[in-house]
Amino acid sequence: MRTDPSDTGGLFITRRPGTRPVQYRTAPRVGDAGRQRMDGLVAAALLAGMVVVNLCFWGPLPLACLFLGGRTQYLTGSIFAGLTVAFATMIAGLLLGLMALKRLDYAWILVRRAAGHDQRQGVIGKIFMICCMIGVPIFSVWFLFFSGASLAGVDVQGLLGG
Amino acid sequence: MGLLDYYRQFAGMSDEEISAQLREQAEERRRRALARIEQLDLSRTTWHELPHPEVVNAVTYAARGALNVAPDPTAEELRRELGRRHGVEPERIVVGHGAAQLLASAARALLEPGDELLTPWPSYGLYPLMAQRTGARAVPVPGGLDVERLLAAVTPRTRAIALCNPNDPTGERLPGAALRALLDALPEHVSLLLDEALVDFATAERDAALALLDDHPRLLAFRTFSKIYGLAGLRAGYALGAPGAEELLVRIAPELGVGLPAQIGALMALRRCDGQLAQRRAAVAAERERLLGALHELPLDAAPSEANVMWLRPAGLTGAELALRLQRSGVLVQSGAGVGDEHHVRVTLQSERATERLLEALRTALGVA
Repeated sequence: MRTDPSDTGGLFITRRPGTRPVQYRTAPRVGDAGRQRMDGLVAAALLAGMVVVNLCFWGPLPLACLFLGGRTQYLTGSIFAGLTVAFATMIAGLLLGLMALKRLDYAWILVRRAAGHDQRQGVIGKIFMICCMIGVPIFSVWFLFFSGASLAGVDVQGLLGG
Repeated sequence: MGLLDYYRQFAGMSDEEISAQLREQAEERRRRALARIEQLDLSRTTWHELPHPEVVNAVTYAARGALNVAPDPTAEELRRELGRRHGVEPERIVVGHGAAQLLASAARALLEPGDELLTPWPSYGLYPLMAQRTGARAVPVPGGLDVERLLAAVTPRTRAIALCNPNDPTGERLPGAALRALLDALPEHVSLLLDEALVDFATAERDAALALLDDHPRLLAFRTFSKIYGLAGLRAGYALGAPGAEELLVRIAPELGVGLPAQIGALMALRRCDGQLAQRRAAVAAERERLLGALHELPLDAAPSEANVMWLRPAGLTGAELALRLQRSGVLVQSGAGVGDEHHVRVTLQSERATERLLEALRTALGVA
């Protein structure tokens, strides 16, 4: 059946894409009210875990990568080796973090449904966006003013009159 | 149920799984549609096939034309064509919305409250109704189309006899000689309303009644395009009267006549359908013979028929029970209960295939191997 509005004269035929209700293989056995309250708490904990993982991208993970890169440079005496390790651990950390987030998001959806909510989509995108809005300014301020790093040819402290 | 299993049950199906399930359901629907037995409707006396294509074209042409203009209320051209065909002056023919409308109008014109309308019974269910609507009394005369019984039932209050010839639902037909005898013996105050809706299915003497018109001024014959012509949707029929009946015919005509598509369709049917009618008549005659022959091996009684219907009486079953059993096999027939006969069913004859299926369903219904 054609449902695309460009095929149907601008009309959505039957349901709009992405708005169908969740279809289960078999009707799930929902727990009692106490169990649902507990599931609500578990869902909140999972959400908090996702926020923590996301925030790790903007602080702990870069710091750890820089630490590892610095240790590598110190041990090998090679700046290239230090940079490579720092970037590699950064990329690996990001990928692992995103994989963990995806699993957490899926688990959060299931637990939310168990808690009695009609949860159709995950929250990973929103969490990532909010954490970016918080993490990017904090990281930028730290990086520019407190990390001691300097951009080539740019005297940040001088620009600020320091 | 473990903790993880508890949460896993809330996992919805993926789009691929849903699509696969929908495909499977569609496949199942297709399988069922192919396996489904189409119902065979042998409960109606109207022709089961579509009308002649030239008739359809003519009706379509008329419908796409000047429908804003009122048609000829007297259907002059159609009456002329009917007159040529039957050898009757057009003034003695009137066109109406089917034979049923003309019959009902004739009853209104002839009957007064308290009068009697005789009708052999069982017969067409309209006759008692049209008597009731005029305040008259319908008097059913059991025993089929029997001239002696009918004449014996005539009283001073009898104003008309409604005679379906061939009879619906029994298929029985009164021959021309018997009709003449009936008309000759009828008192002056009794008219004969002769319903010949099914006469085109008869093998011989189809115009026998029309030959009696000249000598019997109280005879009105009614015919229709709804049956063998397959034009029930047009609601077109006509009545023929004796010389001197012109005034009565005008009284039973519909106000402002029939519609243009009905006039054009009927005219085209008269001009183009003779070959088709002969084929249909021959097919029905062949199926009558085939069914009568095959019924010998079944516990059923059937009388010879001159119409496209046969009146069957099963042994040890009521008509309604037989109709129900046949319905389970996908064959619809008319139970006689509608006309007060619990022992019979009326089956309509269509084609060789339909007869074969009817016989198969009858064998199943009656438990004959």
